[in-house]
Amino acid sequence: MSDYTSDYTIVGKRMPRVDSRAKVMGKAKFTADLKLPGMLVGKIKRSPYAHARILNIDTSKAEALPGVKAIVTGKETKGVKWGVFAYTRDQQFIQIEKVRYIGDEVAGVAAVDEDTALKALDLIEVTYEELPPVFDPMEAMVSETELIHEDFPNNINVHVNIDTGNVDENFEKAYYIREDTYVAPEESYFQAEPYAVAARFDHEDCLEVWCPNGGPHMKSKPLSNAFKLPLHKVKVKKIAIGGAFGGRSEICPVDYICALLAKKTKRPVRIQFTREENTIATRQGHAMITTHKTGVDKDGRVLARETTCYMDGGAYSSTGPIATSVPFLSMEQAYRMESVRYNGYRIYTNKPIRGMIRTHGRGFACGLDTQLDMIADHLGIDPVEMRLRNSRQPGEYTSTKSYVDSCAMDETIHKAVEKSGFKEKWGKLPPYHGIGIGTNSVQTGFPMGIRGGSQSFIKFNEDGEATVMSGVVDNGQGNDNMLVQIAAEELGLLPEDIHLVSADTETTSSDPGSYSQVSTFVGGHAVKIAAQNCREKLFEVASKLLKVEPDKLAAKNRLIFVKDDPGSKRCKASKSIPIKKVVRISLLNFNSVNAEGGYWPKVDMKREWVKNPYGQMCEAFSFGTTIVEVKVDPDTGQVEVLEATAAQDVGYGINPLVLEGQFEGALTMGGQGGMLTEYHEWKDGRCINPTMLDYKLPLACDMPKINTIIVESIDPKGPYGAKEAGMSIAMSAAQGYSAAVSNAIGVYMDSFPLTPDKILAAIKGKKAQAEKKTSKNNAVN
Amino acid sequence: MRLPRFDYLGPETLDQTLDLLATHKDDAKILAGGTDLLVRMKKGLLKPKTLISLKALNELSYINKKDGCIKIGARTSIADIIASDLIQKKAKALFQACEKIGAITIQHDRGTIGGNILQDNRCHHYNQSDFHRSGRQACHKDGGKICYAREEADRCNSTCQSDGATALMTLNAKIILARKGGERTMDLADFYTTDGIMPFAMESHELLKEIIIPIGGAQSAYKRLAYRSAIDYPIVCAGVLLKLSDTQKNEIDDVRIVVGAMGRSPLFLAQASSSLKGKKLSDTVAFKRAADIAMDNASTFAVHNVGATLEYRCAMVSQMVFQALEQAALAARE
Amino acid sequence: MEKIKITLNINDKPYDVRVFPNDTLLEVLRDELDLTGSKESCGEGVCGSCTVHMDGNPVRSCLTLAMEATGTKIKTVEGLATEDDLSDLQQSFIDHGAVQCGFCTPGMLMSADALLNKNSKPDEKTVRKALAGNICRCTGYAKIVEAVAHTGNPQDHCPDCKTGGKTKE
Repeated sequence: MSDYTSDYTIVGKRMPRVDSRAKVMGKAKFTADLKLPGMLVGKIKRSPYAHARILNIDTSKAEALPGVKAIVTGKETKGVKWGVFAYTRDQQFIQIEKVRYIGDEVAGVAAVDEDTALKALDLIEVTYEELPPVFDPMEAMVSETELIHEDFPNNINVHVNIDTGNVDENFEKAYYIREDTYVAPEESYFQAEPYAVAARFDHEDCLEVWCPNGGPHMKSKPLSNAFKLPLHKVKVKKIAIGGAFGGRSEICPVDYICALLAKKTKRPVRIQFTREENTIATRQGHAMITTHKTGVDKDGRVLARETTCYMDGGAYSSTGPIATSVPFLSMEQAYRMESVRYNGYRIYTNKPIRGMIRTHGRGFACGLDTQLDMIADHLGIDPVEMRLRNSRQPGEYTSTKSYVDSCAMDETIHKAVEKSGFKEKWGKLPPYHGIGIGTNSVQTGFPMGIRGGSQSFIKFNEDGEATVMSGVVDNGQGNDNMLVQIAAEELGLLPEDIHLVSADTETTSSDPGSYSQVSTFVGGHAVKIAAQNCREKLFEVASKLLKVEPDKLAAKNRLIFVKDDPGSKRCKASKSIPIKKVVRISLLNFNSVNAEGGYWPKVDMKREWVKNPYGQMCEAFSFGTTIVEVKVDPDTGQVEVLEATAAQDVGYGINPLVLEGQFEGALTMGGQGGMLTEYHEWKDGRCINPTMLDYKLPLACDMPKINTIIVESIDPKGPYGAKEAGMSIAMSAAQGYSAAVSNAIGVYMDSFPLTPDKILAAIKGKKAQAEKKTSKNNAVN
Repeated sequence: MRLPRFDYLGPETLDQTLDLLATHKDDAKILAGGTDLLVRMKKGLLKPKTLISLKALNELSYINKKDGCIKIGARTSIADIIASDLIQKKAKALFQACEKIGAITIQHDRGTIGGNILQDNRCHHYNQSDFHRSGRQACHKDGGKICYAREEADRCNSTCQSDGATALMTLNAKIILARKGGERTMDLADFYTTDGIMPFAMESHELLKEIIIPIGGAQSAYKRLAYRSAIDYPIVCAGVLLKLSDTQKNEIDDVRIVVGAMGRSPLFLAQASSSLKGKKLSDTVAFKRAADIAMDNASTFAVHNVGATLEYRCAMVSQMVFQALEQAALAARE
Repeated sequence: MEKIKITLNINDKPYDVRVFPNDTLLEVLRDELDLTGSKESCGEGVCGSCTVHMDGNPVRSCLTLAMEATGTKIKTVEGLATEDDLSDLQQSFIDHGAVQCGFCTPGMLMSADALLNKNSKPDEKTVRKALAGNICRCTGYAKIVEAVAHTGNPQDHCPDCKTGGKTKE
């Protein structure tokens, strides 16, 4: 059971983030801000062809250019391939035989300044033999042209098959069955900070690397493999990170290229991506075509479901097996589906690489929710009731056999419904006004083998302050502050007494990283346990001084005092002692005050994305509901969002101020951007809108009022009962937005995002249909 | 993103500027606010040897009323135009257009009206980085023989997305082009060549000096559509200048409809405009019909090259024209 | 091509620097003067991360030539705080949780500061419009808008303000 109590003094409180002072002063250092002595500028030569064989690379002219210090090509990598999984090792750090998308890395340059490096890129002569490219995943599966990767027949990169319950039998029992197909093109992260990496080899030949990352340990291991260096010689360092959203989880080939250039030149090298490079040469969200077939009973309860999804994976595997699974998993967590068959196909195309993104499969999730609304409509059930009849309940198992412990899905629905006035508005709004609801769930972590757990060290300094070491990384979401709050709470210190050393592979233990919503649940948990262990040491010393048993002691506000002692308040001096004094006395007795603590979630280690997608996925799941109210201009198809309400079961809100910010940001990315404006457009494999001008990110002037509701289910395993914050809002927001627009125009939409052209076409289509009906009726009359 | 190398010249007076232009001609480009020019240079679309900055030329920053006209110096900032009472009252379409340009912090303080008029045509296949444009044949505007927006097109189909240009053409504006030893005045409508590659009828030694807007008794309005309410260029825009009859109450004497972001230049739509002659201010059916004519005529010029789908943009011409007409009619009635 | 010696007035201090004509103000601030608070995010004037003040007006330093900045007064995010005292706006950003990853923050602050200098008590709509040219991918703007609006209107009740309830004169 959770050790949750309600008398915390630091956690559970609104607290400005510890990193914000440096950030408002412009002092926080991001990778591009780093200056190292003798640092060179690195640049990447990329393929201008979508699919081509490399016949020759001539670097002689570039090498002769004054100021050019080194050029690296695939020759130096000896064709070694890497991948997130052993069975997805399909990408070389620098391409040597062929290129597979426009932007593929073919060479790296280090020069004294940017102008020289750019000039050198132009002087590198690459001879290609163009190969027929394929850009459409459905075509790619039947294409008879050269495979993108020869060992993947039909260009199918990943196939995830899940089949549980008696799907066919339960379809037989269904009262009503619908089958609908939903599509959505690619979307992108557009982190504020364009990707950048700096690398150097230090005096002991250790590789030091700075870069935005979703987990420093996820970067150091592949680099250690590639350079054949022991792990302790690869030091991925802490640096401020300007956003990740799932797009900075793995090693980036350019990390390796940068390090290789540093090795060759014996000087620090920094590579900064342009905005275009950040869009095309990091990761993107998958385009998807999803067919949901759902059978329900008379009351709208889902009896059986069959989902088939084709995902455009781009040129390489990336986190393919995960990305192919998560859209499905989120929905099987959110809604009960005992009988379900899922076939997810990730297909190679000659387009940029796709990875995990905050809103995992908007077409998938919005499709499923739209279909639920259609079924509810058919059965005369309102959308809220439809969700309550199918929503996940605590104590159940998901279809892939994950036990769901804490779950306040229904509470998020009820609270969002109440706050938004859904019941009063549903069916009663004026024409072209609409309201819609979406619900979703995400997992806190995946089975990650030896990297699944996190460990923390804490040491007290003689001034009574503490240094906390943790592998958790802060991508901007506030993880550093979360760790500080937990440590301060447990140690009885104030947040300003905690010095955090984090996200540094040299000093911190392995950690799963921040890309699977696991930082609080696992990394925060580890800090909590380490702090508790450290506090025990303090209590041992203090108990002798205060002459009470250690279990009678508590720590708060830099003091250790006797719990529940009626005299402690009146006569503080005798019954409490400053932590600083305890530390000093301990040191005088030759005992340093430090401790470690770790947390390993109990997941099914046999669960594997493709081979065995069953078993305990993670220990906890978050649940979210978003309700959105919109007004559509029937003449232009433009959408004005009037209000949005986001409620999430976060387990426990460690910092409500930070959580609200997560909800608001998640809603903006998943809903406002993800459902109204964001998508990529292509011409022959070229991304037409890689920039911030052409890719339409939401702006301050277009955002609605956002209501945020924190729902606490106090998870028995999470630290203080906490799970994760924001992700199930990002996903449910997309669903809420699409439902609201569909409601406003009276057409269930199946192609996302809902841009004005699609909305207008739907309105026109509906009008035409209505007119046809009238004229038919008139004819009959 | 790095700018290519160039020489920087900072003349102190208009005469010096014209001298420099006469010397450097094609090798030089005028730098005013830089919000369009420098972006194109960063993308490698333009590599001038020399930039001649108008920074010191405060003499080109003014808004006056003179000889029954509004005279605007070409270097006047967008913010100054928005703040001008005169323009708000007598050239409403320009005010409305300038308010919608980009964003306050991007173009309004830095950007100039001259720069807005001279904003080069755009196309999402052309306004891309050097890298994006490599590995494929050059398009017409890039010095090649291909159009990526319309297959087999024998010329460039880039789109004029300038808000200011559309509004000013609606207002029958004239411009003064100065050169060493002289200047010429021309209708803004004649300034646009309908050539996507070189959209302006301007010699390389000339400088856009002044914009002249005649003040008549007419009302004007400007409407534009973009995906977001700031930053974006219009995907369709329309300006309307509406003059009432001096003799017949609430009867339209003359209407001028100009549609922007649909073709290689702002499009004056003569047929749609003349269809409203003699119509009553309250005749929304006639407005609708005029808007539809405008849509039909403007649609023939457009290609899919600035974001939204072509079908959508064409449909929106009718909407924007209709809304601008209604707005101008409302103002005329007041 | 030769570098040219210019003097820039930044945060009320003169700096002599040698620049190429094609160096942007942003590049000179970051690379020559080590004022790395201003960020490059889009490089083409859209996102606002590089916003600085030039004679009190917000400008995109990525679209401003360093040469063009001579003779003007430049203010960067590093010039907002005095010694160790944060400006009210900076403190308000902290208190309201308006900072997440922090990459857009300097530009956001400079646009907001320019607004407050012109309009000391902006309403929410005015703030949103003034910040329309600054893109934030993390926050959804809600807390940024609150932070700015509240700096101008500190008498409005707010649970997150250390200065909450205090009337500013």
